[in-house]
Amino acid sequence: MAYAYLFKYIIIGDTGVGKSCLLLQFTDKRFQPVHDLTIGVEFGARMITIDGKQIKLQIWDTAGQESFRSITRSYYRGAAGALLVYDITRRDTFNHLTTWLEDARQHSNSNMVIMLIGNKSDLESRREVKKEEGEAFAREHGLIFMETSAKTASNVEEAFINTAKEIYEKIQEGVFDINNEANGIKIGPNHPTTASTLTAGIQTPLTRSGIDKNEVTTLLDLDEDHGVVIFKFAAI
Amino acid sequence: MSFIFRGMMGGQPAGPQPSGAETIQKLCDRVASSTLLEDRRDAVRALKSLSKKYRMEVGTQAMDHLINILQTDRSDSEILGYALDTLYNIICNDEEEEQDESEDEAAQKQADDLGTQFTEKFIQDPEHVTLLLTLLEEFDFHVRWPGVKLLTALLKNQGTQLQGIILVSPMGVSRLMDLLADSREVIRNDGLLLLQQLTKSNAAIQKIVAFENAFERLLDIITEEGSSDGGIVVEDCLLLLLNLLKNNSSNQNFFKEGSYIQRMKPWFEVGDDNSGWSAQKVTNLHLMLQLVRVMVSPVNSPGATASCQKSMYQCGLLQQLCTILMATGVPADILTETINTVSEVIRGSQVNQDYFASVNAPSNPPRPAIVVLLMSMVNERQPFVLRCAVLYCFQCFLYKNQKGQGEIVATLLPSTIDANSISAGQLLCGGLFSADSLSNWCAAVALAHALQDNLTQKEQLLRVQLATSLGKPPVSLLQQCTNILSQGSKVQTRVGLLMLLCTWISNCPIAVTHFLHNQENVPFLMAQISENLGEDERLVQGLCALLLGICIYHNDNSLENYTKEKLKQLIEKRIGKENFVEKLGFITKHELYSRAAQKPQPVFPSPEQMLFDHEFTKLVKELEGIITKAVHKSSEEEKKEEEVKKTLEQHDNIVTQYKELIREQDSQIQELKEQVSSMSSQNEQLQVTVTQQLSQIQQHKDQYNILKLKLGKDNQSQMNSQVDGSQVNGLQTEEVAQLREELEELRKQHTLLQTQLTEKDTLISNLRSETPQIAEDSAAESNNTELLQELEALRSQVQSQTAEIMQMKTEREELLKRNEAMSSDAACSSDDLADSAKMAELESRLTAQMAATERLKAEAKSLSESRAELEQQLASATSTVAILQTEKGKLQTEVQESKKEQDDLLMLLADQDQKIHSLKQKLKDLGETVDDEDDLDTRDQTDDDYEEDEDEDED
Repeated sequence: MAYAYLFKYIIIGDTGVGKSCLLLQFTDKRFQPVHDLTIGVEFGARMITIDGKQIKLQIWDTAGQESFRSITRSYYRGAAGALLVYDITRRDTFNHLTTWLEDARQHSNSNMVIMLIGNKSDLESRREVKKEEGEAFAREHGLIFMETSAKTASNVEEAFINTAKEIYEKIQEGVFDINNEANGIKIGPNHPTTASTLTAGIQTPLTRSGIDKNEVTTLLDLDEDHGVVIFKFAAI
Repeated sequence: MSFIFRGMMGGQPAGPQPSGAETIQKLCDRVASSTLLEDRRDAVRALKSLSKKYRMEVGTQAMDHLINILQTDRSDSEILGYALDTLYNIICNDEEEEQDESEDEAAQKQADDLGTQFTEKFIQDPEHVTLLLTLLEEFDFHVRWPGVKLLTALLKNQGTQLQGIILVSPMGVSRLMDLLADSREVIRNDGLLLLQQLTKSNAAIQKIVAFENAFERLLDIITEEGSSDGGIVVEDCLLLLLNLLKNNSSNQNFFKEGSYIQRMKPWFEVGDDNSGWSAQKVTNLHLMLQLVRVMVSPVNSPGATASCQKSMYQCGLLQQLCTILMATGVPADILTETINTVSEVIRGSQVNQDYFASVNAPSNPPRPAIVVLLMSMVNERQPFVLRCAVLYCFQCFLYKNQKGQGEIVATLLPSTIDANSISAGQLLCGGLFSADSLSNWCAAVALAHALQDNLTQKEQLLRVQLATSLGKPPVSLLQQCTNILSQGSKVQTRVGLLMLLCTWISNCPIAVTHFLHNQENVPFLMAQISENLGEDERLVQGLCALLLGICIYHNDNSLENYTKEKLKQLIEKRIGKENFVEKLGFITKHELYSRAAQKPQPVFPSPEQMLFDHEFTKLVKELEGIITKAVHKSSEEEKKEEEVKKTLEQHDNIVTQYKELIREQDSQIQELKEQVSSMSSQNEQLQVTVTQQLSQIQQHKDQYNILKLKLGKDNQSQMNSQVDGSQVNGLQTEEVAQLREELEELRKQHTLLQTQLTEKDTLISNLRSETPQIAEDSAAESNNTELLQELEALRSQVQSQTAEIMQMKTEREELLKRNEAMSSDAACSSDDLADSAKMAELESRLTAQMAATERLKAEAKSLSESRAELEQQLASATSTVAILQTEKGKLQTEVQESKKEQDDLLMLLADQDQKIHSLKQKLKDLGETVDDEDDLDTRDQTDDDYEEDEDEDED
């Protein structure tokens, strides 16, 4: 069972809003109340299904601290989707969204799908940012919006999957150039359109034909293993 | 060089050669002041040609001008190229020419300093680096290539700072990654070198490079270049991959998740039919093996290593490696590294260990790979590193592998021994007692690993007996080890054996007893420890102390001569506690100890330094403190501790008991909970039924009420209406109330009737009293009497009815009471609805009540019937009375009239009497005689007349 597409995501937002916890909840289905500060960037991956197609999500969880901001910028260009996270119990994290968004818009490709996430929705008693405010911000800036709780897993799955759906739709609409891996999208090894795209790729000067042919064969070998990976996640 | 000079100086060969510095100054001026691009270009070109010979001068004088050119002459790629080349020449250190010129180290160092110095100058302004990065976007070969080289040189000299600058410049790393996609191989290859420098020990950059699809591209290049058969480019790619993955768990995870492990498998498809091993191929394969090891390194997190090991087995990588292991003609270097790699791929992974145990060498007859490897380990002719690798492999095979440990030990046990084939056990024993100290050490450590954390095998190994020489009785393996120890062999041998013994008897009181059972052992250890020996014997002394310490700590006091207490006394007498502890400390203080403690792989710079095993260092760490404490403790303390231990044990027992009790109770609670839940569900069900029934009852009541209302309106019809059992069910109270009302009504009617009757009675009596006055009317009188009699009968009837009603009332009361009791019962039962029996009872009572109600209703019906009869009778009586009254009235008026007539007649009579009297008087006066009898006749005559008058009136 191979993947049809591979999407690269990044998770951004102020420090302590729960980015790493969201990723851990999504990939491992668990919550870690005490989490170390993320240094630089951490990687995580999971397989999901959209429209009956297997889609592999590769997710880079970034550090929210200001000192890592320049490192984070390096990840915008190659990502197809971004989860912009704030903490509903901390107004300042909501206030900083504009800065984050500017940064993202400046460094990413224009088609990057951004999902705005108000995390920690389980802490209703300490809420400082109304849901309506998040909705309004998202509307104003053309983002998808959701409130999640990495602790209770509420909406976490949906946040990642809805972002993937949006990207998938964009692919269907032909908005994304799927042959350019710099967009953070890769076509799976035995996706029906793969063969043709790869043949097309041979003509482009940047790709070398020999490799592409090999890629098809070698990756096909790997597919069985993908099944195992998926099984592993399903087993958790 | 001289040609260029001549050209520059405009043909003045006769004059004195100007110094380099002067020439460079002139050129710099030209670069700075020339308005013509061509002039500037020529000057930069000249500087470039001088930059190697006059590196120092060009660097100090021209750098600023060159940087200036980079900023201002962006449009001319040629001048940019020269400038970049010049800068590269002055910054780069490792040019071959330089090494030729400055062969001695001092000069080389000076050159290095120069490069560092100029690099610092260049990066003083981080903008310069950013400028260089933008220039790399220039596609022109003359710009891009020297740009790449310059940046690489800068990175080599001042890596950390450059990395910092590149990291913060937007898209810096991404731009450099694009170099790998350059179609010009030179640039791609130099790009590889640049990325190698860039990613050196900088996790953040490593991750960005990986994010930019580096794995995919590098693996593509490796495949394209022919994998292990490829040239230096493959090597560079592998080095870059190593940079990206080493100690970078995030990238390792990405590598694994990206299914790149599977892409490594074809690298190792180097069959027996390979056409020789070039140096490059050896290097490439070496790096490839290292890459595999990076993914499964024991220092990685156990989870990450385990998942990589799993996929390496699943994709056949491990199997491929094992093929190389068993192949012939593989260079020792590669073979060694392959063994190390296999070691780490199987370490702690049961599936992989099991697979490894099943691998057979393609020999005739086929032998297990493990046996073949062990043969190499105890073979003096094999290279040292290879023997170390085999030991590592064996250790990794046994690591957390109880099954494997059992299998190895089993090859030594008498029952399973197979004399015909060489077994692992035989090889190990052979190594243990061979003349080669290295074999001794390796075999001892290997055997120790078969016992690691495995009490069963420690005890099993005690059974092993060795036949030393013909005619002599067999000796136990344990004894043989101590025998060799006491024979004063090489330090390496003794260290190995002592480590084996320590591992063996630690945590195994039976083995301790076995060891102490030999009377010579303790005196030998005492002697070793107490003696004042040289430097090289210190480690042995320490190990002996450790062994003795274990004999104390894990002693179960089963040997009278060597109880804990006695051993301690011995130490105190013969060695002294402090001395003993000091000797014990010799182990950890040894210079090689900490080295071995660092990582599991046995790596030693030379065979002589092969002294410590990694697992053994762990054991020492664990035991040192404990033994020191145990030795220092007095017997009283010991006893106290023993007591404490006992009480603790008791406590433990109690706790266990309680725990069991709790567990039992817990299960009971669970059971009860289940019961409760089932009961409550039952209860709920019952409640539902009850509510249903209640609502039914309510319904019935309502129905009954309606019926009652109807009854109130039309008693007869209600009574006639057929009420089926179910409808009446549960209507008692209402019914009774209804009946009561009915009764009340009846009573009222009754009283009304009575009053009416009394009224009539009085009327009749009045009339009766009047009647005698009217003596004349006898017929009326008789009529009245008849009526009276009738009335009397009616009255008695009414009386009897009243009595009946009274009776009924009491009956009703009784019924009511019963009903009340019943309804209270019903209320009670609603509290305890679980009791269905009560429900049944209730229902039966209900039916009884219903029957009673039915009876009552029938009675009521008959009663009302009789009442109706009575009423009819009453009505007829009343009508008779009315007729009688009218008759009486008539009679009375007749009587009155006749009285009047009588009066009139009387008056008339009186008048006539007077007339007669006067006439008589007149007659008398006149003289006629008058008879008195006449008077009487007249009186009769008037009576008759009166009667006649009356008759006339009647007509």
